[in-house]
Amino acid sequence: MTAPPQPPAPREHGKLFWAGAAAGWAVMATGVVGLLSESAKTKPANAVRWVLGAAVAHDLLVAPAVILFGVLVARVVPAVARGIVQSALVVSAMVALFSYPFVRGFGRLASNPSILPRNYASGLAVVLAAIWAVAAAALAVRLRRTRVKRT
Amino acid sequence: MVRRAQPPLKAEPFASPLHDRRVAAWLGLALGVAFTICFVTGLISHLIQQPPSWFVWPARPAGLYRVTQGLHVATGIATVPLLLAKLWAVYPHLWTWPPVRSLAHAVERLSLVPLVAGSLFMLFSGVANITRWYPWKFSFTATHYWVAWITMGAIVAHVGAKASVTRDALRRRSREAREAPEAPARLPVAAEGLTRRGFLATTAAASGVLSLVTLGQTVRPLDRLGLLAPRRPKVGPQGLPVNKSAAGAKVLESARDPGYRLVVEGRVPNKLSFTLDQLRALPQHKATLPISCVEGWSSTADWSGVRVRDLLEMAGARPGVTVRVESLQAKGAYRSSKLNRLHAHDPDTLLALDLFDEPLHIDHGFPVRLIAPNRPGVLQTKWVHRLVVR
Repeated sequence: MTAPPQPPAPREHGKLFWAGAAAGWAVMATGVVGLLSESAKTKPANAVRWVLGAAVAHDLLVAPAVILFGVLVARVVPAVARGIVQSALVVSAMVALFSYPFVRGFGRLASNPSILPRNYASGLAVVLAAIWAVAAAALAVRLRRTRVKRT
Repeated sequence: MVRRAQPPLKAEPFASPLHDRRVAAWLGLALGVAFTICFVTGLISHLIQQPPSWFVWPARPAGLYRVTQGLHVATGIATVPLLLAKLWAVYPHLWTWPPVRSLAHAVERLSLVPLVAGSLFMLFSGVANITRWYPWKFSFTATHYWVAWITMGAIVAHVGAKASVTRDALRRRSREAREAPEAPARLPVAAEGLTRRGFLATTAAASGVLSLVTLGQTVRPLDRLGLLAPRRPKVGPQGLPVNKSAAGAKVLESARDPGYRLVVEGRVPNKLSFTLDQLRALPQHKATLPISCVEGWSSTADWSGVRVRDLLEMAGARPGVTVRVESLQAKGAYRSSKLNRLHAHDPDTLLALDLFDEPLHIDHGFPVRLIAPNRPGVLQTKWVHRLVVR
């Protein structure tokens, strides 16, 4: 395997970079000023904790957990099924993550049953079952193809 | 054979082909479009609710807000997998060594903090809000709004920093495809796991699944598929969802008071006052209009009641006036709303007494609620007892 000739490195910090930075930081400053000007509502100390907390939670908890789990999957699942299993796991994990506040039903109110009117735990189970049914079908097709190739 | 760019750290911990420039470029492009849609539609919703003097939101087309706000929430939901996939693709860069190479690099990396943190916050707080989960102390609307500006600013800076890299990554792909059309779409790593293309397809599939199971809250034919939709368009009193119940607004007694009067006052020559029976004796008009919630659900209903413009005429108001509509609700951000001149004079802007040919359920605003075309649900004031002409 030989590497192709590398194209010239794109100019990363040209005029566009500084124009974007100037405009972007100006817009960001608008947001910060607005956030502070309505501090009675936005409670900046609390808001900052949630904003930065979201990044810290992702970068130090979610991403490393996905890496570890990914390594495990790559070791355990046979090569022929690996891509399909990884794909199904990714979709399942994203749906499950999204469904968390629905399944827990934090927002339910006795005085207003039209909020979160469904059984979301069983809804999630149905969606996950559908995802894995598709994955199983894809795997069956792939196995059959590999077998046909071998014979 | 295609060789991917070496990740900045040793290859070992990040051996996946998915931490890749081209994957990052495609996802970045999709995110740029998605966040712009969310920002513009969100800004529209904000301007409608807190209009500056130059902004007059039209009353027509009647379902426009339903579309813009439905799009806002649906796009946000579909963006969740895009953002997570993008962060996965670029995650190794977080550990770039040395962390800073130059002033420009420092500026670029610094703007990644509001970019990543802001994006995650916008999607997390948005999803929490549509499920009415508020685990924080700040007000959702104000904070979601201002952090949107911060996030959008960070996106602008990031586009400036990455435009040439992205263009290059996407262009190189198409050139390779042209020069080597017989090259297999699947990379040799295919047998070992997800390919780049497979990863993008997986991300798109996740966005598709989330859209499919939530869109039913606003697209009626998809209601049965809406397994993770926070609302069902037909579930609620009189077959219509409710956002604020009468108990929640603490109007259970005042709304049922037999001494109820609707008052029309302000800058008018004739101050008016009606009992409920007198309102029913006035000419009644029908209108089929949606309730379109800021939270992204919507549902069309048949209303009937008295035209606001008829009341304005009876009171002798000058043409082109605006009206403040006040609720019996004593406290809360949405206890009153303003009708601009276009909404105040629209023939479908009603003080509704009936919903689906029955008197309003108290949770829908009995005895009288405002219903007008092209307007957020929170501005369709319920338990109305006073119109103040200005």
